Amino acid sequence: MDAAANFEELTVGIENTQTASTGPAKAKSGRILFDRDSRDTVGEPFVEDARMTCRDVNVYYGDKQAIKDVSLDIGRNEVIAMIGPSGCGKSTFLRCLNRMNDTIDTCRVTGQITLDGIDVYGKDIDVVPLRAQVGMVFQKPNPFPKSIYDNVAYGPRIHGLAQNRAELDDIVETSLRKAGLWEEVKDRMDQPGTGLSGGQQQRLCIARTIAVSPEVILMDEPCSALDPIATAIIEDLIDELKQQYSIAIVTHSMQQASRVSQRTAYFHLGDLIEVGDTAQIFTTPRHQLTQDYITGRFG
Amino acid sequence: MMSPSVIFIAILLLMSAAYYAGRKRALAVAGSRAGLARMHSRPTYYGLLTAMWCGIPALLVFSSWSVFESGIITHLVVAGLPDAIRDLPADRLNLVVNDIRNLVSGNIVSADIDQTMRSAADHYLELQAISHASLAVVILAMTMAAIAILMRIIAPGLRARNQVESIIKWILIACSTIAIFTTIGILLSVLFEAIRFFEKISITEFLFGLKWSPQMAIRADQVGSSGAFGAVPVFAGTLMISAIAMVVAVPVGLLSAIYLSEYADRRFRAVAKPLMEILAGIPTVVYGFFAALTVAPLIRETGIGLGLDVSSESALAAGLVMGIMIIPFVSSLSDDVINAVPQAMRDGAYGLGATKSETVKQVVLPAALPGIVGGVLLAVSRAIGETMIVVMAAGLAANLTANPLKTVTTVTVQIVTLLVGDQEFDSPKTLAAFALGLILFIATLILNVIALHVVRKYREQYE
Repeated sequence: MDAAANFEELTVGIENTQTASTGPAKAKSGRILFDRDSRDTVGEPFVEDARMTCRDVNVYYGDKQAIKDVSLDIGRNEVIAMIGPSGCGKSTFLRCLNRMNDTIDTCRVTGQITLDGIDVYGKDIDVVPLRAQVGMVFQKPNPFPKSIYDNVAYGPRIHGLAQNRAELDDIVETSLRKAGLWEEVKDRMDQPGTGLSGGQQQRLCIARTIAVSPEVILMDEPCSALDPIATAIIEDLIDELKQQYSIAIVTHSMQQASRVSQRTAYFHLGDLIEVGDTAQIFTTPRHQLTQDYITGRFG
Repeated sequence: MMSPSVIFIAILLLMSAAYYAGRKRALAVAGSRAGLARMHSRPTYYGLLTAMWCGIPALLVFSSWSVFESGIITHLVVAGLPDAIRDLPADRLNLVVNDIRNLVSGNIVSADIDQTMRSAADHYLELQAISHASLAVVILAMTMAAIAILMRIIAPGLRARNQVESIIKWILIACSTIAIFTTIGILLSVLFEAIRFFEKISITEFLFGLKWSPQMAIRADQVGSSGAFGAVPVFAGTLMISAIAMVVAVPVGLLSAIYLSEYADRRFRAVAKPLMEILAGIPTVVYGFFAALTVAPLIRETGIGLGLDVSSESALAAGLVMGIMIIPFVSSLSDDVINAVPQAMRDGAYGLGATKSETVKQVVLPAALPGIVGGVLLAVSRAIGETMIVVMAAGLAANLTANPLKTVTTVTVQIVTLLVGDQEFDSPKTLAAFALGLILFIATLILNVIALHVVRKYREQYE
């Protein structure tokens, strides 16, 4: 009957026990759980020597604001996970980073996003080289209806990265090797990419992204359409790729976020609520909303 | 007197009565709310079942009776005629029978009305009245019997819902077979007439002959008594006009589809797409006089200005206008398949830094290509079958020429001119129309089959 009141009581109860059991170190320094109404970003959104920086980014779809004043850095050679309930704006934010939102007519972005110190929304910035530098892997594997070879060679071809066929072969092979797919497909490069299994297709899409040698790879729930085995392979791959690239990954799986990322950012209804070391976010969240989410209270 | 239309309306009324009777009976059998729950089906289904058993057999008897009635009556009337008339040759006998029928229905008769005719007509009327009366009795008996039986067998255990469902399924099957059998029927009728044609003119002469002049002498000494039935010029004309039409329609239609689906914003698309589809709604005869009165003179004057020899009716004029007519076909079908290409494909290309035109050219179009080809083939078969524009703008002379500024003729135009007006239906001239029709039918059928196959193959690709 009075569900709201019960919920409140329960929350307070859990809060108390948590403060008592897990929070002694911080409790001494007066660990504060920011309450639900607070929308300021908690934690450490900025890093030294960042690859990409975002300052006060707002995104609007028509009149509706999807992202509110988000400031966040993406460091070098790190995996940053973005988590949050559906519709919280994490995918929208990700798509701002390589201006994929440009393809949506009603979408408007304000604020500043830089890549290696250069404003990606600057007047003289062309999206074509930008998207070569900031690659993207999508939720559903989307290989082109072309051969495996042509799928990987597509990016290098449109950007003119190879002078001749041998160089192109080389790029294709290297990319497929990095994506851990080479051994599985090397004998059937001329077969359609759509004929591979879901996990292989997703690795093909990753190889396709790597082939244009980006600096940052954006991944929008790359494993949500895959089975656990394929997911594990992709996660291992992400771990290897971070040696070379900065990776921002949106995921609905908190286990995945804790397995693959070094930093985690929690979004809620367009606000960046909390960001910090992955271990810290999942063990001692400082914001009530983050705690609610990771303890499965909602989402 | 029970005329067929009265009987038909009576059947419909009886059906609705049967519905209410069945429903009421079901409610009565059920008795109470608890009883209703024990019934296998809802009362409506018992009503529907009763109406179907009452109406469908009656309607079947009614329609087959209507089909065979006049044949049987005529046979009986002829049997009653004096031997002198009965022994007439078949075609003369037909005339007499026609006269009797006309007399019965009060139309103008060709011959003088003598006593035998008068009595034959009376005989006809008498038989007809008997037939109608007995039909009414049979139908009434059938419907009543059906209702009575249903009243008796309606019980909680009667699976009325399942029976109604399966009857509906059979009705649907019957309707779909009608379409198939009609196609087969048309094909067969054209085929038999064409075979009669090929008995008179050899098939090789028809398919490979280079001269088309479908004249048949009524008298042997007539000028131009020898006809030539080489269909090559006619088919060449069809091909040329269709090719001109496709040269206009495919690029314009495809490119406008690309613009509408990939580039145009939503508001423009909302206005432009219906406007383009209006083109498809314009009657072809309007296109015809547009071609004949506006485009053809324009081409002729331009041609003369350039020092070319242009006929006043030209393949170019007909082809151009036909192409305009077909644009909405191509653009609408292409638009559908382009929209069916998953957004994920575009995202993938954009995500790699492809520009809009690169994405369209290298990802969207290849993915949509089979569907576009299917659409274009459907448009080709439309172009081949188009008649009115060509009749008005391309002319009638069967020239075998590759010059689009000359008058040519097409298969459909020739069929029209061969069959218009009073014709003998067993001369090669009219039979040639059936042969042309058969070849045209086969050509468009093959194109349609290929198109459907290609389109279906495309559909499987993303699932």
